[in-house]
Amino acid sequence: MKKKLLAMLLATSMVAGVTACGSADAPASGGSDTDKKTESAASSDSSSSESSDSAAVDTSEHVVITYMVTGDKPDGEKAARLDEMMTELNKILTEKVNAELEIYYIGWTDYLSNYNLTLAQMDGSVDLIGTASDWLDAWPNAKNGAFLPLSEDMLKTYAPMTWASVTPDHWELCKYNGDIYLMPEDNYAQWTNHGFIYRLDWAKAAGLANGCHSWEDLTTYFKYVKETYPDIIPWDSDGTNYAQTAGGWVSSHSKFVAFDGICSGAIWGGTSDDLYTVVTPAYTDTEMMVEYAKMMKEWDQIGVWKTDVLNNTASSNRDDYRIGRVAAEQHHTQTWTDLCSATPSNTIYQDDPNAESGFFYFGEETDNVVALSITHGAMAVSAASKNPERALMVYDLIRNDEQCYDLFNYGIKGVSYEINDEGLRVNPEGYNPDTDNINGMTNYWWGRNDDLEIRDASRNWKAIDELYAKYDKIKIDYPYGQFVPDVDDIQGKIQNVNEVYTNYTKQISYGKYNGSAEDIVAEMQQALKQAGIEEVTAALQAQIDALYK
Amino acid sequence: MRKQSEKKASQMQVKRPNFFKLLWKYRVLTLMCVPAIVFFFAFSYMPLPGIYVAFVKYNYGKGIFGSKFVGLQNFEFLAESGKLLTLTRNTILYNLAFIILGNLLAVFVAILLNEMRSKWFKKVSQTMMFLPYFISQVLVGVLVYNLLNYDTGFVNGVLSSLGLEKWQPYADPNCWPVLLVIIYLWQQTGYNSVVYFAAIMGIDAEMIEASKVDGANAFQKIRYIILPSLKPTIVILLLFALGGVVKGNFGLFYNIIGTNSLLYGTTDIIETFVYRATMTDFNFSTASAVGLYQSVIGFVIVMTVNYIVKKIEPDYSLF
Repeated sequence: MKKKLLAMLLATSMVAGVTACGSADAPASGGSDTDKKTESAASSDSSSSESSDSAAVDTSEHVVITYMVTGDKPDGEKAARLDEMMTELNKILTEKVNAELEIYYIGWTDYLSNYNLTLAQMDGSVDLIGTASDWLDAWPNAKNGAFLPLSEDMLKTYAPMTWASVTPDHWELCKYNGDIYLMPEDNYAQWTNHGFIYRLDWAKAAGLANGCHSWEDLTTYFKYVKETYPDIIPWDSDGTNYAQTAGGWVSSHSKFVAFDGICSGAIWGGTSDDLYTVVTPAYTDTEMMVEYAKMMKEWDQIGVWKTDVLNNTASSNRDDYRIGRVAAEQHHTQTWTDLCSATPSNTIYQDDPNAESGFFYFGEETDNVVALSITHGAMAVSAASKNPERALMVYDLIRNDEQCYDLFNYGIKGVSYEINDEGLRVNPEGYNPDTDNINGMTNYWWGRNDDLEIRDASRNWKAIDELYAKYDKIKIDYPYGQFVPDVDDIQGKIQNVNEVYTNYTKQISYGKYNGSAEDIVAEMQQALKQAGIEEVTAALQAQIDALYK
Repeated sequence: MRKQSEKKASQMQVKRPNFFKLLWKYRVLTLMCVPAIVFFFAFSYMPLPGIYVAFVKYNYGKGIFGSKFVGLQNFEFLAESGKLLTLTRNTILYNLAFIILGNLLAVFVAILLNEMRSKWFKKVSQTMMFLPYFISQVLVGVLVYNLLNYDTGFVNGVLSSLGLEKWQPYADPNCWPVLLVIIYLWQQTGYNSVVYFAAIMGIDAEMIEASKVDGANAFQKIRYIILPSLKPTIVILLLFALGGVVKGNFGLFYNIIGTNSLLYGTTDIIETFVYRATMTDFNFSTASAVGLYQSVIGFVIVMTVNYIVKKIEPDYSLF
């Protein structure tokens, strides 16, 4: 009897469980079916609105399009400012496409997990999704079915301006398995190659008349800072910059070009003179890595970072840089364009008229600079969206309509920005950067458009244009835009390799290893081999061969 | 004790043939049980079919049961990492230390509390010991960092002002097993001792009085009356705890050790490893695979230990 009862209970629970899951599944798969239908009959009407008129775009029903973005939700007065702008914007959107926009924020804390979780829900709560192939898992999500494949007809019909502005080559780069999933931010000059931002005036005082242009220069610089300003921690790193620093060392000492989006360590890649041979310098180039380990040990001994840097979670290095409490920040060019400009929050320039910020970019010694992939920022449409057509129409306006663009990116004219005689953007009177900066709230990094951008007058354009010009001369385009590695069979090995690499690079990059530099590098290489780095390299090589050869 | 007999009574219900009659007869008791039954049904039994996710290549659009079946592929990465043994060993050893030392200390503290004469002091010390239990693990991590870090930590401040050499625990993997156990005990003992304290309170006062009349001193009373009366409670709590021996205390380890790879050798447990490995590519399937691995091992351990206990002392076994 007891057994029978148990069996019955189990059976009921199973059935209940299955039905529960089944019913949760049904609408999702049903939804994607309709999507498919819509796609195949794209030029006709949206199937949900059931209008008999097939030629024109039906916008009779007022809909709300939710735009999902990484960033912290504004509150208090900030939110009020944002609402004012959104009200204005929604007036225009309602008039033009009978839709309004709402923003759904994925807070910065654990953003990647929350981002992916929100996508995994597939409940139609978001429509437009700001995504990126290198830092927001765009391809894995496309593969997992979170994004709607955008047919050409659909794009032509609902996002005609975007369709026209992106070249066929660029659309090609947004395809996975022959379908377009992303609308790329391909007309916006920005550089996100990493490097060290440092105090140029201090570097000059340290005897580096032209500033820092090599890792050795940085050593000199850090030594000088430590001796001259004992209260300043040269670089108060929070212990998370290991991968960037190690990658930077590799690009400064080789022609390595990393593949985006395979793993956070970016271990695999090609070289700029032999693009399609997969190499792993961190694993194979022992001499280079030993040099790296030695130099980082030296930095550690100089006291560039705090002794317990690996557990130092409470650092706010960038803000400390703005007010002169640290002497360096490691991030990308885009961040430098902010830090080198005398904006109100960068008080170093008010406190010290001689203050200047230089930028040593990784790869400077070898002219190894790769331009940003056009899918570093891109917009996708959720596969669960109930109004994908309208979502596209809204995006088309935000991206290409001057009025919408300015509102969405800069806010209301006279409140959040003003345009000066030179046509540059300035802060209006009574502007409060903490509450009025719309740009820092809408976080629109998925389709900025240089045709419509209004330059910020506070930026140090002289220095910025100079560096950009230099980049333009030496850069190569990201060569692997179409390479979406199929990692299903090697996922486990990649995870393990990445884990091993991360653990060792962390120790090496902060000089926190025991024993000699040679030993730790040898130990790392041994562990990488065990984790299967060679098998992964071979598998990637086969895929590269299949794609490019 | 009383709870246990109630539980037995409810088990008896199931054994009798006229189940529904009994159900009606004990309707009040059954009704009181309903929230627990609903809870476990909803949160423990309903999700069971979802275990299947550990065997597929999960696709958001297709759902758990529509995704491609890949067999044991999701378990491979654990095995391939070559760390499975170290991780399982660390997890189990830490948990054993937590369980054994934790329970011993809790019994000890409960007995001490019981022997205290001053009621006021008893309450104060109990509250003081209970407090750490309510501090979030994140804060505990910050607290520990501020005590132990090399540059500005309290301990090193004291050491250097005494003219002693500074101590760098965040670069020394060997000191963490001890430190982590101490931190755990500091946090949990107050809470754990409450259960034992309650059990002591439930001991028949007549027995204790009788021992007094027979001339037993305080130590004899503890040795011959309190400890034997606590035995069933200890065994049951141990059995429950052992079920989770493969499930690491993620909050404690992650907040204190963080991602300091220098210390992984002695502090990496299954949870922290999996967290790092799967956070980078957000793989539900491998994460579930690990969860399943832990559950299976935990299940085997509970069954084995319960079997052994049953052999030795059938009354104390769980089922």
